[in-house]
Amino acid sequence: MDWLKEQFKKEEWSPYAAGAMLGVVGILAVVLSNSLLGASGAFENIAGLIGKAVAPAAFDNIYFNFVMPPGITWGVVLLVGVFFGGMLGAKSSGTWKLRTVSDEQWKEIAGKKWWKRWLIAFVGAIILEYGAGIAGGCTSGLAISGGMLLAPAAYLFIAGMFASGIVTAWFVYGRRY
Amino acid sequence: MTNFIIALILGLFFGLTLQKAGLTKYHKIVNVFRLTDFAVLKFMMTALIVSMTGLYSLKWMGVITFPNVPATYIAGNLVGGLIFGFGMAISGY
Repeated sequence: MDWLKEQFKKEEWSPYAAGAMLGVVGILAVVLSNSLLGASGAFENIAGLIGKAVAPAAFDNIYFNFVMPPGITWGVVLLVGVFFGGMLGAKSSGTWKLRTVSDEQWKEIAGKKWWKRWLIAFVGAIILEYGAGIAGGCTSGLAISGGMLLAPAAYLFIAGMFASGIVTAWFVYGRRY
Repeated sequence: MTNFIIALILGLFFGLTLQKAGLTKYHKIVNVFRLTDFAVLKFMMTALIVSMTGLYSLKWMGVITFPNVPATYIAGNLVGGLIFGFGMAISGY
């Protein structure tokens, strides 16, 4: 028991241990709820909910009516859990802290200005979410959840993601790649 | 309702594993694309192997049927992945 507690408090687990645990969570999602883990879809559900309230005409299309119907879905609740789960993880290791720029490596390449980090994170997230919308899922919803059912879509997505990710990082880091 | 409670609890563990694997950090995400830190891949592939093995065994035993498998449309999956990777590499999420 003490050993477990000690492990739980560690700031960083082996990626293999954490991955195995996520694998079990993925199995349980199918067994208990017949659902797949995912993150990007929940944002679209919420966006649809807000959009339908604010600008119903603009959101009255096939995508928001049928592909990603708005509402508080299983995925939205899952996402709430993810938020608190991440917080729990940071709290347990005593590294939880409010920060504006959190990453040393980011500071090295882009400086310490907080708005720069927030702006790029915001723009990057929009692009990322858009890509996920086209592909039909994100790293968790398509790559892992689709991959575990051996969906070809997942492996195409992973190939695309790494191809452009590597090229982008190569451009961002230039000679320091 | 029960379904939502399950979602909340599974979400908690999902977030916990991501945080503990360090995937909430900018450098972990970017460095997999710089090919200097493969934690993201180790995490993803382990999760894949574990869940794949578990689900196919359960299906074979007749305990479960698979939910809707994500649809394949080659151009969409690939182009979406390309856009996604760009966003992921600049934002680090």
